[in-house]
Amino acid sequence: MRMQPSSHSLSLAAIAAIAAAMFSVGSAASAQSAAPPDLTGSWERYRGPAGDAATPPPESQPPLKANLLAEWQKRRAAEREADARGVPLATNYTHCIPDGVPSMMSGPFPFEIVQSKSQVNIAQEAYSQVRRIYLAKPQLTLADIELGFYGRSVGEWKGDTLVVDTIGIKDYVKFRDVPHTPDMRITERFKLVRPDILWDEITITDPTVLEKPWTVTFAYRRMPDYEIIEYVCEDNREYADEEGVTRLRLKGEDSP
Amino acid sequence: MARTIKLPVRLAAAALLGVGLPAAAHHSFAIFDHSQTYTLKGTVQSFQWTNPHGYIDLAVSDGPPGIERFTLELTSINMLRRAGWKSSDVNAGDKVTAIVAPLMNGQQGGLLLELKMADGRTLVPPVPAADTFQRSK
Repeated sequence: MRMQPSSHSLSLAAIAAIAAAMFSVGSAASAQSAAPPDLTGSWERYRGPAGDAATPPPESQPPLKANLLAEWQKRRAAEREADARGVPLATNYTHCIPDGVPSMMSGPFPFEIVQSKSQVNIAQEAYSQVRRIYLAKPQLTLADIELGFYGRSVGEWKGDTLVVDTIGIKDYVKFRDVPHTPDMRITERFKLVRPDILWDEITITDPTVLEKPWTVTFAYRRMPDYEIIEYVCEDNREYADEEGVTRLRLKGEDSP
Repeated sequence: MARTIKLPVRLAAAALLGVGLPAAAHHSFAIFDHSQTYTLKGTVQSFQWTNPHGYIDLAVSDGPPGIERFTLELTSINMLRRAGWKSSDVNAGDKVTAIVAPLMNGQQGGLLLELKMADGRTLVPPVPAADTFQRSK
């Protein structure tokens, strides 16, 4: 199955598809055997040069419903204004709270994919985050799971594309500060657009808050031989003061 | 990971779209003064190799008036490792010259941009968009 790019990314995606077809010319017979590509290994965000077909379209603004969009824009403006004054507002990250799905796919640090026939694990180096995608199990309903940072993910290979369905993300685990309901559904399409460039096309559906599904695509490049480094938030000296402003606790000062 | 980001261009694009910059650290670097740097000479009291940031505690012998002790914040140690740093690169007792972007709120701390060691080494942490910090003469 081909990825389903949004209209403005059509030309880039078309070029990528042609490139992918060129790479697969010599292996048409093996492709018919339907063995999925091996994504196992380390990856990091790829931001290629302008005009590079493997660079996905820029991130679009979330198609929030009008009143929510106004609130979201107001919050973003407040963040920018606070940054400009040198008093940035604290975020989950400031408190060493991991970003969860799908933010962890924005790749602050490299991540590792380990793939088997029945499961794909993705371990993001930042905050040692791990998500598990079950390939041989059905999705559950919200009634059967507890909301969390990574939700519950099931996946299926459709040709050369791994299609992943995720539900069950906690309300304050936000992507780009965008509000969502427990009904948010995340559909991802992982596909190699080049042998060493992977795309994750992320589509968020949440009809209560979004006018239409919102798609964001990230690209990653393979990091041969890179071994993921451990990350423990061992001594977090940053804290939010009573006004929500980030401050640094200096040596010898008491914790707030 | 030490990719070069042309921040002004990215900021302009981000402002246009109302979309945030990619998360590069565990907190915004806006807490540090982008308009000036301090040059601090002193003796390392400790080099702490931890996440979410590494820290150097510096006893200052020469720097702006009134500064005797200064906390140098480094990037995440994961970023340091990828840039080739080791926890043994800096040790208590080392005489160093540090170039830092001070905290905006006047606290005695700042972001380490460059560390000159007595043996001639210059250690540069992989600060994202490091070129946006204006160096004082």
